[in-house]
Amino acid sequence: MENRKRGAAGAANRGMEENTMAILDTSGFNNSKISHHLNDDRLAFLEAVRCASLLSDDGSAPTSIMFEAVFQVLRDEDSLDLIMGSYQLLVDLNKRFPPVYLSKTEKSESSSSSSSSSNVISQLVVVQEAWSPFTFGLDSYNEKAVADKQSRGSVDSLNFHALVQEVVKVARERKSEAVEIKFLRNMLLLQYLIIILEGDFLPRNCAYQENKDWTVLRKSLLNMLLGSRKIIYKSLIEDCLCIMCDLSDDQTELSSEMSHNRRHSGNLLQEIDTAVVLALPEVEKSTCTVLKKLVLMIMELDLSRSMADLQGFTTRADGVRTPAVDIILEELIYNSNILSSFLQVFDEPKWKLKIIVEYFHKYIPKSSIRTRRSIDQVKDETFDGVLKCLSNSNSTKSIVKKLSTDVAQLLLAHAFQAYLSLSLQHLPGGVSELKEDVKGSSLVEVCKNVITAFTSLRKEDGETEIFPFGNEALFTAATILSTKS
Amino acid sequence: MTDMYDPLDFEFEEPIRISPSVPKKKKKVIGLDDLLEDHEKEQKRIKDRKCKRTKIKNTSDSEEDEDATEIELSKCVDKCQKEMDQINDDDEMPLWGIQVFGDQRTLPALEYPEPRSCVTLQSIMNHKLNSLVELKIEKGEPFLEGLLVDGWLLKLIFTLGQVEKSISTWIFNLMLYSSKERSRKAACEFWCSILSPEIEVNSSDIKIDWLPSYSDLKRALDIYGFLLDSPSKLSSDIDMIHADSDTAGPPQNIRCWIKYVAVCCQVRNTHLIFSTSEAEDLLGVIISLFLDRQLLGLFMILHACMHSVISFFKDEEWHDSCERVAKSLGWRLPRDINCLRTVESISGSNGRSKHLRSAVAKQFLIRCLNEKECDAEDILRMLISINVKDKNCDLSKMYIYLGLAENWLLFDPTLKDNAAIHEMWGICLRNCSCGIAITDLRSYASKVRSKASYLLQGMANK
Repeated sequence: MENRKRGAAGAANRGMEENTMAILDTSGFNNSKISHHLNDDRLAFLEAVRCASLLSDDGSAPTSIMFEAVFQVLRDEDSLDLIMGSYQLLVDLNKRFPPVYLSKTEKSESSSSSSSSSNVISQLVVVQEAWSPFTFGLDSYNEKAVADKQSRGSVDSLNFHALVQEVVKVARERKSEAVEIKFLRNMLLLQYLIIILEGDFLPRNCAYQENKDWTVLRKSLLNMLLGSRKIIYKSLIEDCLCIMCDLSDDQTELSSEMSHNRRHSGNLLQEIDTAVVLALPEVEKSTCTVLKKLVLMIMELDLSRSMADLQGFTTRADGVRTPAVDIILEELIYNSNILSSFLQVFDEPKWKLKIIVEYFHKYIPKSSIRTRRSIDQVKDETFDGVLKCLSNSNSTKSIVKKLSTDVAQLLLAHAFQAYLSLSLQHLPGGVSELKEDVKGSSLVEVCKNVITAFTSLRKEDGETEIFPFGNEALFTAATILSTKS
Repeated sequence: MTDMYDPLDFEFEEPIRISPSVPKKKKKVIGLDDLLEDHEKEQKRIKDRKCKRTKIKNTSDSEEDEDATEIELSKCVDKCQKEMDQINDDDEMPLWGIQVFGDQRTLPALEYPEPRSCVTLQSIMNHKLNSLVELKIEKGEPFLEGLLVDGWLLKLIFTLGQVEKSISTWIFNLMLYSSKERSRKAACEFWCSILSPEIEVNSSDIKIDWLPSYSDLKRALDIYGFLLDSPSKLSSDIDMIHADSDTAGPPQNIRCWIKYVAVCCQVRNTHLIFSTSEAEDLLGVIISLFLDRQLLGLFMILHACMHSVISFFKDEEWHDSCERVAKSLGWRLPRDINCLRTVESISGSNGRSKHLRSAVAKQFLIRCLNEKECDAEDILRMLISINVKDKNCDLSKMYIYLGLAENWLLFDPTLKDNAAIHEMWGICLRNCSCGIAITDLRSYASKVRSKASYLLQGMANK
């Protein structure tokens, strides 16, 4: 019964597919106006897919061929109209027909009637036949099938990293004339791919938290992407950091320069498509946000993975991978130019505080040596501990010697900001991890300690002035103190 | 069984296909700039040709015979050229797009809050810790802006649980009128955070002394050069010519404006900022922004904003509001290819959005057919009465009508089970798909034909 129904639906889908794909059929045109018409037809095609799949009440997901055609538009086209249209359509389709999702079912427990009569069990549903822009074959195995798929427009780990690198390149060397549509398109493409990774990872990670089944996460797109031997995982992370920092840095200069130019020379206005100029800051900002999400997801994956490691669920096939936090820390320590902009962009308080505290701990003199891997240590590494260290003039001296006052101030101020964000989030008590960082001392105490820490930093190095960001942190701490006490 | 899913039969009507194989994928797609470039090249070529011809005339004055044939020949070539141009011109499809923003007015100067009146600043001045920060009154302005940009002000406000009027007006003006990206971005985040509960803490904890009103937003739009509001600019006056003055087009602040409107609409339960009629007006404004090509890159945030404004209305308000918005758009916007663009920009992602899409399409259709009030059957009867075989029939209009009617009929809940309407719609589609021969060379003929066939096939599939 079920099968027959699906068969009929499949036939109807095929009909829809042929009918819709016919819009893209180009055989009718043969003259110079062809591109104009092609453009029009592609727009009509996007609209037809939207109508058929998203707008009608009983719409079914587009077939793989149609999906691929839409994705191809996003990858290849140069018209802003088409890029925006296809991006929005793909994102909407992903929302309406998620390939992986959790379905909540209520399961009544008859055996233990005393405690809870019904329990909400979430079940992971993976739609097997769903289309995905990614293909991760096994690295060497089945080359031909993979090559076949690629020619039809799928993205593998190599393509993904290449795309990231392309965005890095433009973001870094950008001058005002580099404002072009291709950059915009690449950023949107990257955003879409990360949205797909996210849609796949988040429900899987949720399911993993519940039932501790590592295979669910092992099969996640993100894990397959990072585990691929075709790319260098470490440089992918570094490139992601680069994009985040470069985009947030240049944004201000570029746009002010742009508005400046716009006012003074008419020529430039004609050269640069105003639409792109208006859109770029927005797209850059959303690219930053999405990359931040990617980095966070990788960190969460690392957490789940180390948990699975401890429980002995990982196998040799999983390979070894340095946790992303370590790579990021290393990058921040050895590439101090990005430190400031990274801390500014990366505003997820929980992880930010964690990273800063770990940064400090590399320089805080330790009374006893412990292994880095042991979990017990995590409890020790808190913001409180760092503040205590900085209030002690001896340990402050040794930190400043190794770390320079500027960096110490920057880290301290950002840690305080992250701490404030955490203390402002009224989170349900279940999240013990968060509380760990925030509890300990009250807000007033922390403010006092921050002020003491800044004072002792300044004492160590009388010449350096406290830079604006640190000043603002001090002001905030002082104001909170003056109103709360 | 197999017949049903074969490609459409019109594909095979033509005995000889010009190129049975699909041509190689064209990577380059023509944008506005390319069109302009092509046009300039064409102009240049014509000029060159003219120059050459005059040269020829000058040099060959002596050889009359040769000259005569040459003139004859060039005349002939010119004639051919002209005809070809004409054919191409006929085929030219107008692009959608109207100028929604004209010249900007000068953005108002930003006024910093008077530090002495600002309690937050005041408290620190008197505090003994001020010796550490060494904040001076005269340095207060840039310092305050720094606090905002680096995100401290937001943390401070959340901890204190109150926003003073002087600070909130200052930040609001920064958001809408500052030329510095950092400032306006931070200001926009500030307002969105204190209004919207999901981003930070429970917003009811925060006392906001002053909330910007609808008129503040409209004033900003006016300063940005928004054209569609002034009564003198009716739809007939709107043109596609882009002004080349330096201040044409909205400033970057328009992005903040759009986001702010979205957030205001989301928080109706805690802060009632707009009245229903104001929200209706804003919905119309947002939809009209889709028609300006300069804002094409803001597609995503415009979509999100439209979604928020649509969900602003209460269930009992929606029906009437939706009709009013549709009517006002029908009056305000031009009745050409832009109608289709307007309808298609309404995403239809939920029931209300579909309703709006259908209502707007219907209003446009009524306007295009120059009718005042008519019911569904009247409209369809009029569409059926259009004779597409008539040489003078404007097929480009027919193309627009088909698109509008499709959207109207597909999403109008009241017409869903109306068999009579569907039958009429079928007749109309068959008129177009069978009435236009594949050899018809009129512009839009093939477009109307394939659109109608596609829709017919869609009906058959159901």
